[in-house]
Amino acid sequence: MLGEQRPTEEEASALTEPATSRLMRPDVRDEFGLETIDMNMGPQHPAMHGLLRLILELDGETVVRCDPVMGYLHRCQEKIAENRMYPAVIPMTDRLDYFANMHNEHGYVLAVEDLLDIEVPPRAEYIRVLMCELMRLASHIPSIGFLMLELGAFTPILYAFRERERIQSIFEAVTGARMMFHYIRIGGVKADLPPEIPEQIWKFVENLEKNFKGDFVDLIEGNEIFISRTRGVGQLTQEKAVEMGLTGPPLRCTGVDFDIRIDYPYSVYPELTFDIVTDTAGDVEASYRVRIGECLQSIRIIKQCLEKIPEGAVMAELGRRIRPAEGEGFGRVESPRGEFAVHVVSDGSDTPYRVHYRDPSFVNMQLLQEIVPGHYLPDIMPIMGLVDPVSGGWDK
Amino acid sequence: MGTVLQYLDQEPFRFLLSFGAVLFLVLNLAAVLTMAERKVSGYIQLRYGPNRVGPRGLLQPAADVFKLFTKENVSPGRSDLWVFLGAPIAMFLPAAAVWLVIPFSPDAVIANINVAILFFIAITSIGALGVVMAGYGSRSTFSLLGALRGAAQMISYEVPLILSLLGVVMLSGSLSFVDVVAAQGDTFWTWYFLPLLPMFLTFYVSGIAEVKRVPFDLPEGESEIVGGFMIEYSGMTWALIQAAEFASMGLMSAITATLFLGGWQPPLPFLDLGAFNWIWFGFKTALIMFTFQWIRWSIPRLRMDQLMDLGWKVLVPITLIYLLIVAAAMLILQEVF
Repeated sequence: MLGEQRPTEEEASALTEPATSRLMRPDVRDEFGLETIDMNMGPQHPAMHGLLRLILELDGETVVRCDPVMGYLHRCQEKIAENRMYPAVIPMTDRLDYFANMHNEHGYVLAVEDLLDIEVPPRAEYIRVLMCELMRLASHIPSIGFLMLELGAFTPILYAFRERERIQSIFEAVTGARMMFHYIRIGGVKADLPPEIPEQIWKFVENLEKNFKGDFVDLIEGNEIFISRTRGVGQLTQEKAVEMGLTGPPLRCTGVDFDIRIDYPYSVYPELTFDIVTDTAGDVEASYRVRIGECLQSIRIIKQCLEKIPEGAVMAELGRRIRPAEGEGFGRVESPRGEFAVHVVSDGSDTPYRVHYRDPSFVNMQLLQEIVPGHYLPDIMPIMGLVDPVSGGWDK
Repeated sequence: MGTVLQYLDQEPFRFLLSFGAVLFLVLNLAAVLTMAERKVSGYIQLRYGPNRVGPRGLLQPAADVFKLFTKENVSPGRSDLWVFLGAPIAMFLPAAAVWLVIPFSPDAVIANINVAILFFIAITSIGALGVVMAGYGSRSTFSLLGALRGAAQMISYEVPLILSLLGVVMLSGSLSFVDVVAAQGDTFWTWYFLPLLPMFLTFYVSGIAEVKRVPFDLPEGESEIVGGFMIEYSGMTWALIQAAEFASMGLMSAITATLFLGGWQPPLPFLDLGAFNWIWFGFKTALIMFTFQWIRWSIPRLRMDQLMDLGWKVLVPITLIYLLIVAAAMLILQEVF
């Protein structure tokens, strides 16, 4: 019934009348000569993580072909960045992957700092890591909730958003904004942590660690329907994952222990101890387990950061105008969705000559075209949960 | 006054009156259930649910209905209009009609027909027709998928549903709801859910599938086919579909209470409320409705192939085997005593 088993074009054209319309084309008829249905899923669709359009070809409920169409949220981020001064690009990066804003800022700032070749005060580095790991929690927990939402269970998403709200309150106290922070600046961070915040974060992670098993693991994993809907769905081999350049949980759930934080360490990650969470199955369930594990690792990192954070300045001494010498800068961070990398080229003026974002949502998206065909239509939703792309990320 | 009542007891009036009463009951039940659904989901999900309209939000259903009445009824340009508009009615009428034969209390049953179970099976089958009409009439891929799923699911799950009813028929020796309730006695351990436990569970599960609720809400599938067969409906046609869904959910709870939980019978003899025994019936029905909602907000949805597996490979064999066991046990008990 799948695409590969169908008659070739020559064979089929001998059987059927000449192709007049798209639906009459031989490749859309199966071995019984029955037509398939074309179906547009999205861009306005609740399970499409924003504005993704999937052109599906259905044979009954089985998907024969799946073409993702992107571009419905394109905002010319890279072009706009060329006309803004270096610090003014940071608020733009917040709008890229709006579920991991801190990581976008961090990636861009690392690239510019690479270009400028400056040292960042250690306290600022710790604050950055602290914020990034909180952001990872605030992204992974709802993405587990979204997976459940797309499987038809409505309640876990609200439990997830309760935790995200708490993290957002912390962000609000630290940065002044709940989502679009503009907090990590070139040379440090905008402001020091308010005095009561470290204790508040500590209390939050303690509480989260205590309730994590009951609220997320038991409620979700303890359900047989969840297991039957996710085990073996979206199965991906290690070779295929590496070949497609996947990063983040979709890669690690196949068993590859690749993590920018350890393989290409940046900031203060070398001083912290944590594990790369991997799973071998490579299906949706494995990616869920990887995300759960990474949440616990993030909690570990946050606690270490709070213990180790030194006193001192949070901003390096920089001139008012940032005017890097001609050259290139590169920064890569491990965002919740995978590797977020930024390439900045300078021509010596105060605006970048070129900014390029390598967004994990965009790269991981190729997965859909590869693994969705052959699955049932309702399996697209857990596979979207495996990839967990964000609209702002893939469209830029 | 006496003559008026005598007149109303005459055939045409009696029929019209009871039909009006059933319609009133069903529509109000649907309204109350939407409210209950939202409140229950609210408390499960750490929030309050509607609490703005009227005292404690109790007028929310009225506001909803008012809103839906004032909305324009949009139908797709390519739709098959008569089928499209007929579908909500075809869905609503069966859900309302079966209420005619349900015994609310010993004397309060509108039509005490002696083949009530047969009537129930026959009428609920029409519900699948409404789903297919809705999916076909809308001329949308999403609707079509939803309707096909709905038809396959409702027809498949009718088999275990009917098979599990056979156990009740065998034990009570009657097809009449009134007789079935009377046969169950006024102590809760003589109700049929204990001797027929596997059948009770099968009936419950296939009942959920029959009324298309999570985890069997594939025809609706809000995260995949976004409402499925009802995707193109708006305004009052959509409200009618919703009313039908909630009415059939209430109906399935009422039937479960009648057949397996003793209907209006009190759980213990001293709790007999006499003419107010309908309170017991209402209580049991509400309890089952609450479990429906509890399940609805806790667990994810099955996939079509898994749904079919569950129906044909688990529920049907269980009921068939248990049917044999019940028959053998009855025969042995008859021979021995």
